Amino acid sequence: MLEIKDLVVAYGPVKALDGVNISVPKGKITAVLGANGAGKTSLLRSVSGLVKSRSGQILLEGTDITRKPVENMVRLGMAHVPEGRGVIAELTVEENLRLGGLFRRGGDADEQIEGVYKQFPPLDSRRKRSAHTLSGGERQMLVVGRALLAKPKVLLLDEPSLGLAPLIVNQIFTLVRDLVDSTGLAVLLVEQNAKSALGIADTGVVLNLGKVVATDDASVLVADEQLRHAYLGF
Amino acid sequence: MQQFVTLTVNGIILGSVFAAFALTLVLIYRATRIINFGQGAMAMFSAYLALETIKRTDSYWLGFVVALVSGFIIGGVVERVIVRRVETGPELNAVIVTLGVFVGFVALASILFGNTIEGFPAPFSVRGFEAVAITPTDIFKLIAVLIAMGLLLVLFQFTSLGLQMRAAAFGQEVARLLGVRVGQMLTLGWALAGMFGALAGVLIASGAPVSPTYMDAVVVFGFVAAVLGGLDSFVGAVVGGLVLGLTNTYVAGYVERGSALVTLAALAILITVLLLRPSGLFSSSVARKV
Repeated sequence: MLEIKDLVVAYGPVKALDGVNISVPKGKITAVLGANGAGKTSLLRSVSGLVKSRSGQILLEGTDITRKPVENMVRLGMAHVPEGRGVIAELTVEENLRLGGLFRRGGDADEQIEGVYKQFPPLDSRRKRSAHTLSGGERQMLVVGRALLAKPKVLLLDEPSLGLAPLIVNQIFTLVRDLVDSTGLAVLLVEQNAKSALGIADTGVVLNLGKVVATDDASVLVADEQLRHAYLGF
Repeated sequence: MQQFVTLTVNGIILGSVFAAFALTLVLIYRATRIINFGQGAMAMFSAYLALETIKRTDSYWLGFVVALVSGFIIGGVVERVIVRRVETGPELNAVIVTLGVFVGFVALASILFGNTIEGFPAPFSVRGFEAVAITPTDIFKLIAVLIAMGLLLVLFQFTSLGLQMRAAAFGQEVARLLGVRVGQMLTLGWALAGMFGALAGVLIASGAPVSPTYMDAVVVFGFVAAVLGGLDSFVGAVVGGLVLGLTNTYVAGYVERGSALVTLAALAILITVLLLRPSGLFSSSVARKV
Protein backbone atom coordinates (compact mmCIF):
# COMPACT_ATOMS: atom_id res chain seq x y z
CA MET A 1 0.00 0.00 0.00
CA LEU A 2 2.68 2.48 1.10
CA GLU A 3 6.31 2.04 0.06
CA ILE A 4 9.11 4.20 1.40
CA LYS A 5 12.32 3.81 -0.61
CA ASP A 6 15.79 5.13 0.26
CA LEU A 7 14.29 8.16 1.96
CA VAL A 8 16.76 10.84 3.00
CA VAL A 9 15.63 13.86 5.02
CA ALA A 10 18.10 16.47 6.15
CA TYR A 11 17.89 19.70 8.11
CA GLY A 12 20.91 21.58 6.83
CA PRO A 13 23.94 19.30 7.26
CA VAL A 14 22.16 17.03 9.77
CA LYS A 15 20.57 13.95 8.31
CA ALA A 16 17.38 13.02 10.17
CA LEU A 17 16.72 10.04 7.91
CA ASP A 18 19.50 8.33 6.01
CA GLY A 19 18.26 5.92 3.37
CA VAL A 20 15.18 4.49 5.05
CA ASN A 21 13.19 1.65 3.45
CA ILE A 22 9.83 0.71 4.92
CA SER A 23 6.89 -1.14 3.44
CA VAL A 24 3.42 -0.67 4.89
CA PRO A 25 1.07 -3.35 3.59
CA LYS A 26 -2.71 -3.22 3.40
CA GLY A 27 -4.53 -4.52 6.46
CA LYS A 28 -1.42 -4.41 8.64
CA ILE A 29 -0.02 -2.17 11.34
CA THR A 30 3.62 -1.27 10.88
CA ALA A 31 5.17 0.22 14.00
CA VAL A 32 8.27 2.40 13.79
CA LEU A 33 10.13 2.42 17.08
CA GLY A 34 13.14 4.19 18.43
CA ALA A 35 14.37 6.72 20.93
CA ASN A 36 13.89 10.47 20.79
CA GLY A 37 15.72 11.87 17.79
CA ALA A 38 15.77 8.56 15.94
CA GLY A 39 13.91 10.26 13.07
CA LYS A 40 10.43 8.88 13.69
CA THR A 41 8.53 12.14 13.40
CA SER A 42 10.66 13.27 10.44
CA LEU A 43 9.65 10.06 8.72
CA LEU A 44 5.92 10.75 9.00
CA ARG A 45 6.33 14.43 8.20
CA SER A 46 8.21 13.69 5.01
CA VAL A 47 5.77 10.96 3.97
CA SER A 48 2.86 13.41 4.19
CA GLY A 49 4.89 16.19 2.57
CA LEU A 50 5.20 18.57 5.52
CA VAL A 51 8.96 18.19 5.22
CA LYS A 52 10.60 17.94 1.81
CA SER A 53 12.80 14.92 1.43
CA ARG A 54 16.27 15.31 -0.04
CA SER A 55 16.09 12.10 -2.02
CA GLY A 56 14.22 8.84 -2.17
CA GLN A 57 10.72 7.87 -3.15
CA ILE A 58 7.33 7.46 -1.52
CA LEU A 59 4.81 5.32 -3.36
CA LEU A 60 1.13 5.08 -2.51
CA GLU A 61 -0.47 2.12 -4.29
CA GLY A 62 2.35 2.26 -6.79
CA THR A 63 1.90 5.98 -7.52
CA ASP A 64 4.81 8.27 -6.77
CA ILE A 65 3.61 10.90 -4.27
CA THR A 66 7.05 12.11 -3.21
CA ARG A 67 6.72 15.75 -4.26
CA LYS A 68 2.95 16.14 -4.02
CA PRO A 69 1.70 19.06 -1.91
CA VAL A 70 0.50 18.25 1.61
CA GLU A 71 -3.03 19.39 0.78
CA ASN A 72 -3.41 16.60 -1.77
CA MET A 73 -2.61 13.76 0.61
CA VAL A 74 -6.11 13.43 2.05
CA ARG A 75 -7.57 13.34 -1.44
CA LEU A 76 -5.09 10.60 -2.36
CA GLY A 77 -6.20 8.54 0.62
CA MET A 78 -3.62 9.30 3.29
CA ALA A 79 -4.44 10.71 6.72
CA HIS A 80 -1.77 11.96 9.12
CA VAL A 81 -2.42 12.44 12.83
CA PRO A 82 0.43 14.69 13.92
CA GLU A 83 2.31 14.50 17.18
CA GLY A 84 0.89 16.52 20.06
CA ARG A 85 -2.80 16.12 19.29
CA GLY A 86 -3.50 18.23 16.26
CA VAL A 87 -6.87 19.56 17.35
CA ILE A 88 -7.73 23.06 16.24
CA ALA A 89 -8.42 24.37 19.72
CA GLU A 90 -10.38 27.45 18.61
CA LEU A 91 -13.00 25.35 16.80
CA THR A 92 -15.68 23.19 18.38
CA VAL A 93 -15.50 19.41 18.55
CA GLU A 94 -18.09 19.15 15.80
CA GLU A 95 -16.25 21.61 13.56
CA ASN A 96 -13.03 19.65 13.97
CA LEU A 97 -14.83 16.52 12.88
CA ARG A 98 -16.49 18.26 9.96
CA LEU A 99 -13.05 19.30 8.74
CA GLY A 100 -12.03 15.66 8.75
CA GLY A 101 -14.93 14.74 6.50
CA LEU A 102 -14.50 17.60 4.00
CA PHE A 103 -12.50 15.62 1.50
CA ARG A 104 -13.92 12.23 2.28
CA ARG A 105 -13.52 9.88 -0.62
CA GLY A 106 -17.17 9.21 -1.39
CA GLY A 107 -20.03 8.74 1.03
CA ASP A 108 -21.90 11.02 3.37
CA ALA A 109 -19.73 12.56 6.07
CA ASP A 110 -22.58 13.64 8.37
CA GLU A 111 -23.62 10.08 8.98
CA GLN A 112 -20.04 9.09 9.65
CA ILE A 113 -19.64 11.90 12.19
CA GLU A 114 -22.49 10.32 14.15
CA GLY A 115 -20.52 7.09 13.91
CA VAL A 116 -17.49 8.76 15.53
CA TYR A 117 -19.70 9.97 18.39
CA LYS A 118 -20.88 6.43 18.93
CA GLN A 119 -17.32 5.17 18.95
CA PHE A 120 -16.16 7.88 21.35
CA PRO A 121 -19.05 8.73 23.68
CA PRO A 122 -17.06 11.41 25.58
CA LEU A 123 -17.04 13.48 22.40
CA ASP A 124 -20.79 13.14 21.95
CA SER A 125 -21.62 15.21 25.03
CA ARG A 126 -19.14 17.92 24.00
CA ARG A 127 -20.13 18.49 20.37
CA LYS A 128 -20.63 22.23 20.62
CA ARG A 129 -17.82 22.82 23.09
CA SER A 130 -14.58 24.40 22.04
CA ALA A 131 -11.92 21.73 21.48
CA HIS A 132 -9.55 23.39 23.95
CA THR A 133 -11.82 22.27 26.81
CA LEU A 134 -11.08 18.59 26.05
CA SER A 135 -8.75 16.42 28.11
CA GLY A 136 -5.68 14.81 26.53
CA GLY A 137 -7.45 11.51 25.96
CA GLU A 138 -10.48 13.21 24.43
CA ARG A 139 -8.23 15.19 22.13
CA GLN A 140 -6.60 11.99 20.94
CA MET A 141 -10.03 10.48 20.32
CA LEU A 142 -10.99 13.59 18.40
CA VAL A 143 -7.94 13.56 16.11
CA VAL A 144 -8.13 9.84 15.45
CA GLY A 145 -11.86 10.10 14.75
CA ARG A 146 -11.24 13.10 12.53
CA ALA A 147 -8.54 11.33 10.53
CA LEU A 148 -10.76 8.30 9.97
CA LEU A 149 -13.57 10.51 8.64
CA ALA A 150 -11.52 11.05 5.50
CA LYS A 151 -11.84 7.31 4.92
CA PRO A 152 -8.10 6.92 4.34
CA LYS A 153 -6.32 3.94 2.83
CA VAL A 154 -3.22 4.75 4.85
CA LEU A 155 -3.20 6.21 8.35
CA LEU A 156 -0.07 7.79 9.79
CA LEU A 157 -0.15 7.95 13.59
CA ASP A 158 2.49 9.95 15.42
CA GLU A 159 2.95 9.03 19.10
CA PRO A 160 -0.72 8.49 19.91
CA SER A 161 0.14 7.26 23.42
CA LEU A 162 2.10 10.36 24.41
CA GLY A 163 0.95 11.61 27.80
CA LEU A 164 -2.14 9.40 27.94
CA ALA A 165 -3.33 7.06 30.68
CA PRO A 166 -2.67 3.38 29.81
CA LEU A 167 -6.39 2.66 29.77
CA ILE A 168 -7.00 5.25 27.05
CA VAL A 169 -3.93 4.16 25.07
CA ASN A 170 -5.33 0.67 25.16
CA GLN A 171 -8.75 1.84 24.00
CA ILE A 172 -7.33 3.74 21.05
CA PHE A 173 -4.96 0.95 20.04
CA THR A 174 -7.77 -1.60 20.19
CA LEU A 175 -9.91 0.61 18.00
CA VAL A 176 -7.14 0.99 15.42
CA ARG A 177 -6.48 -2.75 15.43
CA ASP A 178 -10.19 -3.49 14.88
CA LEU A 179 -10.35 -1.00 12.04
CA VAL A 180 -7.31 -2.47 10.34
CA ASP A 181 -8.75 -5.95 10.58
CA SER A 182 -12.20 -4.99 9.37
CA THR A 183 -11.40 -2.45 6.64
CA GLY A 184 -7.94 -3.34 5.37
CA LEU A 185 -6.56 0.04 6.40
CA ALA A 186 -2.76 0.29 6.33
CA VAL A 187 -1.30 1.93 9.43
CA LEU A 188 2.15 3.40 9.92
CA LEU A 189 2.46 3.92 13.65
CA VAL A 190 5.31 5.82 15.22
CA GLU A 191 5.80 5.16 18.91
CA GLN A 192 8.27 5.68 21.70
CA ASN A 193 6.20 3.33 23.84
CA ALA A 194 7.59 0.25 22.09
CA LYS A 195 5.95 -2.30 24.33
CA SER A 196 2.39 -1.14 23.69
CA ALA A 197 3.05 -0.55 20.02
CA LEU A 198 4.48 -4.03 19.42
CA GLY A 199 1.44 -5.37 21.24
CA ILE A 200 -0.85 -4.36 18.38
CA ALA A 201 1.55 -4.14 15.42
CA ASP A 202 2.15 -6.82 12.81
CA THR A 203 5.59 -5.58 11.84
CA GLY A 204 8.12 -3.53 13.76
CA VAL A 205 10.81 -1.30 12.34
CA VAL A 206 13.54 -0.07 14.68
CA LEU A 207 15.04 3.26 13.79
CA ASN A 208 18.27 4.58 15.25
CA LEU A 209 19.92 7.88 14.26
CA GLY A 210 18.03 7.97 10.98
CA LYS A 211 18.80 4.41 9.92
CA VAL A 212 16.75 1.23 10.05
CA VAL A 213 18.54 -1.21 12.36
CA ALA A 214 15.93 -3.96 12.37
CA THR A 215 12.74 -4.92 10.53
CA ASP A 216 10.82 -8.00 11.55
CA ASP A 217 7.54 -9.44 12.78
CA ALA A 218 6.47 -7.76 15.98
CA SER A 219 6.59 -11.05 17.86
CA VAL A 220 10.18 -11.66 16.77
CA LEU A 221 11.27 -8.20 17.91
CA VAL A 222 9.62 -8.67 21.29
CA ALA A 223 11.51 -11.94 21.72
CA ASP A 224 14.88 -10.40 20.82
CA GLU A 225 16.18 -9.42 24.23
CA GLN A 226 19.38 -7.84 23.01
CA LEU A 227 17.58 -5.55 20.58
CA ARG A 228 15.00 -4.65 23.16
CA HIS A 229 17.63 -3.58 25.65
CA ALA A 230 19.71 -1.72 23.09
CA TYR A 231 17.01 0.29 21.33
CA LEU A 232 13.58 -0.19 22.80
CA GLY A 233 14.12 0.31 26.51
CA PHE A 234 12.15 -2.60 27.88
CA MET B 1 -33.59 63.96 25.24
CA GLN B 2 -33.92 64.59 21.55
CA GLN B 3 -30.26 65.44 21.43
CA PHE B 4 -29.41 62.21 23.21
CA VAL B 5 -31.42 60.15 20.74
CA THR B 6 -29.89 61.92 17.77
CA LEU B 7 -26.37 61.54 19.10
CA THR B 8 -26.94 57.87 19.93
CA VAL B 9 -28.38 57.00 16.54
CA ASN B 10 -25.65 58.89 14.75
CA GLY B 11 -23.07 57.23 16.97
CA ILE B 12 -24.37 53.80 16.08
CA ILE B 13 -24.31 54.59 12.38
CA LEU B 14 -20.82 56.01 12.53
CA GLY B 15 -19.78 53.12 14.75
CA SER B 16 -21.13 50.55 12.31
CA VAL B 17 -18.87 51.92 9.59
CA PHE B 18 -15.90 51.89 11.97
CA ALA B 19 -16.88 48.34 12.83
CA ALA B 20 -16.98 47.36 9.17
CA PHE B 21 -13.48 48.71 8.74
CA ALA B 22 -12.27 47.08 11.95
CA LEU B 23 -13.67 43.78 10.67
CA THR B 24 -11.40 43.97 7.64
CA LEU B 25 -8.35 44.29 9.91
CA VAL B 26 -9.59 41.36 12.00
CA LEU B 27 -10.20 39.23 8.89
CA ILE B 28 -6.64 39.76 7.75
CA TYR B 29 -5.10 39.46 11.19
CA ARG B 30 -6.86 36.17 11.80
CA ALA B 31 -5.81 34.76 8.45
CA THR B 32 -2.21 35.90 8.30
CA ARG B 33 -1.31 37.51 11.67
CA ILE B 34 -0.52 40.66 9.79
CA ILE B 35 -1.92 44.10 10.50
CA ASN B 36 -2.67 45.64 7.16
CA PHE B 37 -1.84 49.34 7.38
CA GLY B 38 -2.68 49.63 3.69
CA GLN B 39 -6.33 48.67 4.18
CA GLY B 40 -7.63 52.25 4.30
CA ALA B 41 -5.72 53.28 1.19
CA MET B 42 -6.97 50.21 -0.68
CA ALA B 43 -10.53 51.12 0.31
CA MET B 44 -9.97 54.72 -0.78
CA PHE B 45 -8.74 53.50 -4.16
CA SER B 46 -11.87 51.40 -4.64
CA ALA B 47 -14.02 54.37 -3.67
CA TYR B 48 -12.27 56.47 -6.32
CA LEU B 49 -12.92 53.78 -8.92
CA ALA B 50 -16.56 53.96 -7.85
CA LEU B 51 -16.55 57.74 -8.13
CA GLU B 52 -15.13 57.58 -11.67
CA THR B 53 -17.80 55.05 -12.60
CA ILE B 54 -20.53 57.24 -11.14
CA LYS B 55 -19.23 60.27 -13.04
CA ARG B 56 -19.28 58.36 -16.32
CA THR B 57 -22.54 56.44 -15.93
CA ASP B 58 -24.47 58.63 -13.51
CA SER B 59 -25.38 55.52 -11.56
CA TYR B 60 -24.49 55.37 -7.86
CA TRP B 61 -25.31 51.68 -7.74
CA LEU B 62 -23.02 50.74 -10.59
CA GLY B 63 -20.26 52.60 -8.76
CA PHE B 64 -21.16 50.74 -5.57
CA VAL B 65 -20.76 47.39 -7.32
CA VAL B 66 -17.49 48.48 -8.96
CA ALA B 67 -16.14 49.41 -5.52
CA LEU B 68 -16.98 46.02 -4.02
CA VAL B 69 -15.64 44.02 -6.95
CA SER B 70 -12.46 46.09 -7.22
CA GLY B 71 -11.97 45.83 -3.45
CA PHE B 72 -12.19 42.05 -3.68
CA ILE B 73 -9.68 41.93 -6.54
CA ILE B 74 -7.27 44.43 -4.99
CA GLY B 75 -7.30 42.55 -1.68
CA GLY B 76 -6.62 39.22 -3.32
CA VAL B 77 -3.91 40.55 -5.63
CA VAL B 78 -2.12 42.44 -2.86
CA GLU B 79 -1.95 39.25 -0.79
CA ARG B 80 -0.93 37.00 -3.64
CA VAL B 81 1.63 39.25 -5.25
CA ILE B 82 3.06 41.32 -2.40
CA VAL B 83 2.17 40.04 1.06
CA ARG B 84 2.72 36.32 0.29
CA ARG B 85 6.46 37.01 0.15
CA VAL B 86 6.64 38.39 3.69
CA GLU B 87 4.12 36.15 5.43
CA THR B 88 6.81 33.85 6.77
CA GLY B 89 9.56 36.35 7.53
CA PRO B 90 9.99 38.58 10.58
CA GLU B 91 6.88 40.54 11.53
CA LEU B 92 8.52 43.86 10.85
CA ASN B 93 8.84 42.96 7.16
CA ALA B 94 5.08 42.64 6.85
CA VAL B 95 4.54 45.92 8.70
CA ILE B 96 6.86 47.79 6.34
CA VAL B 97 5.32 46.15 3.28
CA THR B 98 1.75 47.07 4.27
CA LEU B 99 2.91 50.62 4.99
CA GLY B 100 4.33 50.55 1.48
CA VAL B 101 0.95 49.45 0.16
CA PHE B 102 -0.60 52.41 1.98
CA VAL B 103 1.84 54.92 0.51
CA GLY B 104 1.61 53.31 -2.93
CA PHE B 105 -2.16 53.48 -3.22
CA VAL B 106 -2.36 57.05 -1.93
CA ALA B 107 0.28 58.09 -4.46
CA LEU B 108 -1.39 56.18 -7.29
CA ALA B 109 -4.75 57.76 -6.50
CA SER B 110 -3.20 61.22 -6.45
CA ILE B 111 -1.62 60.62 -9.86
CA LEU B 112 -4.71 59.07 -11.47
CA PHE B 113 -7.53 61.03 -9.87
CA GLY B 114 -5.85 64.23 -8.72
CA ASN B 115 -4.91 65.38 -5.28
CA THR B 116 -7.98 67.53 -4.81
CA ILE B 117 -11.17 67.37 -2.81
CA GLU B 118 -14.20 66.15 -4.73
CA GLY B 119 -17.81 65.52 -3.78
CA PHE B 120 -19.01 61.91 -3.66
CA PRO B 121 -22.73 61.52 -4.43
CA ALA B 122 -25.14 59.98 -1.95
CA PRO B 123 -27.58 57.23 -2.88
CA PHE B 124 -30.49 58.80 -1.02
CA SER B 125 -31.40 62.16 0.45
CA VAL B 126 -28.96 63.69 2.89
CA ARG B 127 -31.63 65.84 4.54
CA GLY B 128 -32.48 64.79 8.08
CA PHE B 129 -35.93 63.75 9.30
CA GLU B 130 -37.86 66.17 11.52
CA ALA B 131 -37.89 64.04 14.66
CA VAL B 132 -34.27 62.93 14.64
CA ALA B 133 -31.38 64.45 12.79
CA ILE B 134 -30.49 61.43 10.72
CA THR B 135 -30.82 61.06 6.98
CA PRO B 136 -32.11 58.33 4.68
CA THR B 137 -28.51 57.88 3.49
CA ASP B 138 -27.46 57.26 7.10
CA ILE B 139 -30.07 54.55 7.40
CA PHE B 140 -28.86 53.02 4.16
CA LYS B 141 -25.32 52.92 5.56
CA LEU B 142 -26.45 51.13 8.68
CA ILE B 143 -28.48 48.58 6.72
CA ALA B 144 -25.64 47.97 4.26
CA VAL B 145 -23.21 47.25 7.09
CA LEU B 146 -25.69 44.99 8.86
CA ILE B 147 -26.34 42.97 5.71
CA ALA B 148 -22.61 42.65 5.02
CA MET B 149 -21.95 41.53 8.59
CA GLY B 150 -24.78 39.03 8.36
CA LEU B 151 -23.35 37.56 5.18
CA LEU B 152 -19.91 37.34 6.76
CA LEU B 153 -21.36 35.57 9.79
CA VAL B 154 -23.19 33.06 7.59
CA LEU B 155 -20.06 32.47 5.53
CA PHE B 156 -17.82 31.84 8.53
CA GLN B 157 -20.20 29.97 10.82
CA PHE B 158 -22.38 27.97 8.47
CA THR B 159 -20.47 27.10 5.32
CA SER B 160 -17.74 24.62 4.56
CA LEU B 161 -15.67 27.39 2.97
CA GLY B 162 -15.91 29.45 6.15
CA LEU B 163 -14.91 26.48 8.26
CA GLN B 164 -11.88 25.94 6.04
CA MET B 165 -10.94 29.62 6.34
CA ARG B 166 -11.13 29.44 10.12
CA ALA B 167 -9.15 26.21 10.18
CA ALA B 168 -6.48 27.78 7.97
CA ALA B 169 -6.33 30.78 10.29
CA PHE B 170 -6.04 28.87 13.56
CA GLY B 171 -4.10 25.75 12.64
CA GLN B 172 -2.27 26.07 9.35
CA GLU B 173 -0.39 22.80 9.48
CA VAL B 174 -3.31 20.71 10.70
CA ALA B 175 -5.57 22.34 8.12
CA ARG B 176 -3.16 21.40 5.35
CA LEU B 177 -3.03 17.81 6.58
CA LEU B 178 -6.82 17.76 6.43
CA GLY B 179 -6.71 18.88 2.82
CA VAL B 180 -7.53 22.57 3.21
CA ARG B 181 -5.79 24.66 0.55
CA VAL B 182 -4.39 27.14 3.03
CA GLY B 183 -2.81 29.46 0.47
CA GLN B 184 -6.12 29.94 -1.33
CA MET B 185 -7.89 30.54 1.97
CA LEU B 186 -5.43 33.30 2.87
CA THR B 187 -5.91 34.96 -0.50
CA LEU B 188 -9.67 34.68 -0.09
CA GLY B 189 -9.43 36.20 3.39
CA TRP B 190 -7.58 39.21 2.02
CA ALA B 191 -10.01 39.50 -0.90
CA LEU B 192 -13.01 39.50 1.44
CA ALA B 193 -11.28 42.05 3.63
CA GLY B 194 -10.64 44.16 0.55
CA MET B 195 -14.31 43.99 -0.38
CA PHE B 196 -15.46 44.84 3.13
CA GLY B 197 -12.97 47.70 3.27
CA ALA B 198 -14.25 49.02 -0.04
CA LEU B 199 -17.79 48.94 1.37
CA ALA B 200 -16.66 50.98 4.37
CA GLY B 201 -14.79 53.32 2.02
CA VAL B 202 -17.82 53.98 -0.17
CA LEU B 203 -20.17 54.38 2.79
CA ILE B 204 -17.87 56.93 4.44
CA ALA B 205 -17.53 58.76 1.13
CA SER B 206 -21.23 58.82 0.24
CA GLY B 207 -22.55 62.36 0.54
CA ALA B 208 -19.17 63.60 1.75
CA PRO B 209 -16.00 65.09 0.28
CA VAL B 210 -13.23 62.70 -0.76
CA SER B 211 -9.53 63.15 -1.34
CA PRO B 212 -6.77 60.52 -1.52
CA THR B 213 -6.37 60.82 2.26
CA TYR B 214 -10.02 60.90 3.30
CA MET B 215 -9.85 57.42 4.84
CA ASP B 216 -7.02 58.27 7.23
CA ALA B 217 -9.31 59.24 10.12
CA VAL B 218 -11.43 56.13 9.61
CA VAL B 219 -8.29 54.00 9.62
CA VAL B 220 -7.35 55.38 13.03
CA PHE B 221 -10.77 54.73 14.55
CA GLY B 222 -11.18 51.36 12.81
CA PHE B 223 -7.76 50.34 14.02
CA VAL B 224 -8.51 51.34 17.60
CA ALA B 225 -11.83 49.48 17.37
CA ALA B 226 -10.08 46.31 16.19
CA VAL B 227 -7.47 46.51 18.94
CA LEU B 228 -10.16 47.13 21.57
CA GLY B 229 -11.88 43.97 20.46
CA GLY B 230 -8.69 41.93 20.62
CA LEU B 231 -7.73 41.98 16.92
CA ASP B 232 -8.96 38.47 16.27
CA SER B 233 -12.59 38.68 17.33
CA PHE B 234 -15.38 39.65 14.93
CA VAL B 235 -17.70 40.45 17.84
CA GLY B 236 -14.94 42.50 19.44
CA ALA B 237 -14.48 44.55 16.29
CA VAL B 238 -18.19 45.35 16.13
CA VAL B 239 -18.38 46.28 19.81
CA GLY B 240 -15.17 48.30 19.49
CA GLY B 241 -16.57 50.11 16.46
CA LEU B 242 -19.81 51.00 18.23
CA VAL B 243 -17.98 52.19 21.36
CA LEU B 244 -15.84 54.50 19.24
CA GLY B 245 -18.78 55.72 17.15
CA LEU B 246 -20.75 56.63 20.27
CA THR B 247 -17.71 58.22 21.89
CA ASN B 248 -17.29 60.28 18.77
CA THR B 249 -20.79 61.70 18.74
CA TYR B 250 -21.17 62.07 22.51
CA VAL B 251 -17.88 63.89 22.94
CA ALA B 252 -18.57 66.07 19.93
CA GLY B 253 -22.15 66.76 21.05
CA TYR B 254 -21.90 67.21 24.79
CA VAL B 255 -18.44 68.59 25.42
CA GLU B 256 -17.68 72.17 24.63
CA ARG B 257 -15.45 72.29 21.55
CA GLY B 258 -15.73 68.52 21.78
CA SER B 259 -15.08 67.75 18.12
CA ALA B 260 -11.44 68.66 18.67
CA LEU B 261 -11.25 66.18 21.54
CA VAL B 262 -12.71 63.17 19.70
CA THR B 263 -9.36 61.64 18.78
CA LEU B 264 -8.07 62.20 22.29
CA ALA B 265 -11.10 60.41 23.72
CA ALA B 266 -10.44 57.42 21.43
CA LEU B 267 -6.87 57.32 22.67
CA ALA B 268 -8.03 57.48 26.29
CA ILE B 269 -10.39 54.54 25.75
CA LEU B 270 -7.69 52.55 24.00
CA ILE B 271 -5.21 53.09 26.83
CA THR B 272 -7.78 52.29 29.52
CA VAL B 273 -8.85 49.04 27.88
CA LEU B 274 -5.32 47.92 27.17
CA LEU B 275 -4.31 48.66 30.77
CA LEU B 276 -7.16 46.55 32.12
CA ARG B 277 -7.21 43.81 29.48
CA PRO B 278 -3.99 43.81 27.46
CA SER B 279 -5.26 41.21 25.00
CA GLY B 280 -8.38 43.24 24.20
CA LEU B 281 -11.98 42.81 25.25
CA PHE B 282 -12.90 39.77 23.19
CA SER B 283 -9.70 38.01 22.22
CA SER B 284 -10.64 34.45 21.38
CA SER B 285 -7.16 33.00 21.15
CA VAL B 286 -6.51 30.27 23.65
CA ALA B 287 -3.17 29.17 24.93
CA ARG B 288 -2.10 26.15 22.96
CA LYS B 289 -1.31 23.06 24.96
CA VAL B 290 1.13 20.59 23.56
